[in-house]
Amino acid sequence: MTNKTLIMPTAVSTAGSAAGVETEAAPVHGRVVKSKITRDLLTFLMVFGPGLIVMVADNDAGAVSTYSQAGAQYGTHLLWVVLLLLPVCYFIQEMVVRLGIATGKGHAAMIYQRFGKWWGLFSLVDLQLVNFLTLVTEFAAINLALSKMGVDPRYGVPLAAAGLIMLVLSGSYRRWERIVVFLCMLDFAWFAIAFRLGPPLGQIVKHALLPSMPAGGITPDLMFLVIAIVGTTIAPWQLFFQQSCIADKRLRFADLRWARLDTFLGACVTITAAVCMMIAGAASHAHGFRFTDPAQMAADIGTFAGTAMRDLILLMMINAAVLGTTAISLSSAWAYGEVRGWPHSLQLPWREARGFYALYLMSVAAAAGIVLIPRAPLQLIILGVQVLAGVILPSAIVFLQLLLNDKELLGEYANKPWNNWVNWTIIAVLFILSLILAAQVTAPNLFPST
Amino acid sequence: MTTRNDRYVVVHPLDDVLETKVDTEALGPMPMTRSVRYSLLSLRAYLILMVLLVVYHVVMLAR
Repeated sequence: MTNKTLIMPTAVSTAGSAAGVETEAAPVHGRVVKSKITRDLLTFLMVFGPGLIVMVADNDAGAVSTYSQAGAQYGTHLLWVVLLLLPVCYFIQEMVVRLGIATGKGHAAMIYQRFGKWWGLFSLVDLQLVNFLTLVTEFAAINLALSKMGVDPRYGVPLAAAGLIMLVLSGSYRRWERIVVFLCMLDFAWFAIAFRLGPPLGQIVKHALLPSMPAGGITPDLMFLVIAIVGTTIAPWQLFFQQSCIADKRLRFADLRWARLDTFLGACVTITAAVCMMIAGAASHAHGFRFTDPAQMAADIGTFAGTAMRDLILLMMINAAVLGTTAISLSSAWAYGEVRGWPHSLQLPWREARGFYALYLMSVAAAAGIVLIPRAPLQLIILGVQVLAGVILPSAIVFLQLLLNDKELLGEYANKPWNNWVNWTIIAVLFILSLILAAQVTAPNLFPST
Repeated sequence: MTTRNDRYVVVHPLDDVLETKVDTEALGPMPMTRSVRYSLLSLRAYLILMVLLVVYHVVMLAR
């Protein structure tokens, strides 16, 4: 590859940007390369980002808790459930990729424009509410992990919030993306944790590839943990986040195959990291510890694997919460900006997109503030997250499916019949699971616990 | 990406000319068949019911 930058002279835009960024008559900066392989690699690296970020950020604080709990209660028996979710994650997010590239607009804007105000408003309000409640749980996890590390959360939590706000205020999408991709790469530390703590490789492969039931068979507790795993692996904000992210990055039709690869690699990373979290939980269980929360699990593991391992797990927990916070807050800010018609791009400086940045800032600051209130009803908030996410997810995917069958909107990028078979099956399963979860949370006496 | 004398020019999406996308605002609301419209009405009823259940449960917990 020659390390040259070529500036092409004629670059006049014919379409306005949905995000409010104007690039008319701007010169086109390109890299000159000699081989096709280098061209493809460089193009992939330029497109790479939204798929990895949405997938890794999905392994947020709640996911760390759910996967490690599954490992602590059932060992490696539920690895096959996680592995089964790999194609589900990919198929759902791949639809978002096509929609984002074809329209250049976010998911909230699409629902508003194609299904009318009622559905647009419902989706937006539900998303904002469930996102905000999820943010509170992210900061609660940061609070918990910092306390276990001996850091006073009264200083640590505001510092984390300030860092998260600074992250987006640079007025550069690229800078934000590079920092967040670096944080995503830190997730590979879960591999080292699993390698150090894990059971024999043969057992992991066996339980990952051959469905097996834990001792005791199918119980309501097992069923609800499986539902929680599904719910934490596929979250409503992901649809909104990735589509808006693709629109903000202005991915082109030619980028579609690279964006698909980005999404697939992201799905592989997130599912493998989830497996590692489950293995960490299983290791604490194997040493006779009872699971209460992931921070306590880290402390328990520290007693037999050393304080360095304890601190590494706690740091990974904070990293998961930080990634979740920036992605979820951005999905809220992008969605609100799209529906209100405000400028809403990370490429814009603060003074040109005040509403967009203010919403991000307020979400982060308020969620961090609530966590620092003594005796805040965190349990009620976690419950709210579970139920509302369960309610919004199937309906959000129904809209996604309808939009992907909209030939007027997508033309050749619309779903093929096999896409529809796969997606309607996923939607049916998610509807049943969300109904069971919502019924369990709202009326716990319906299902006797074992 | 363009080719110039066996060389390839790779352009970052943010440095490229804006592509013309579908004009979604001009398309207006999605035309729906009767079955899709009824399905969405059922979905709306389900969501309203679920939200009411959640509100009821939160009120009970807060008491």
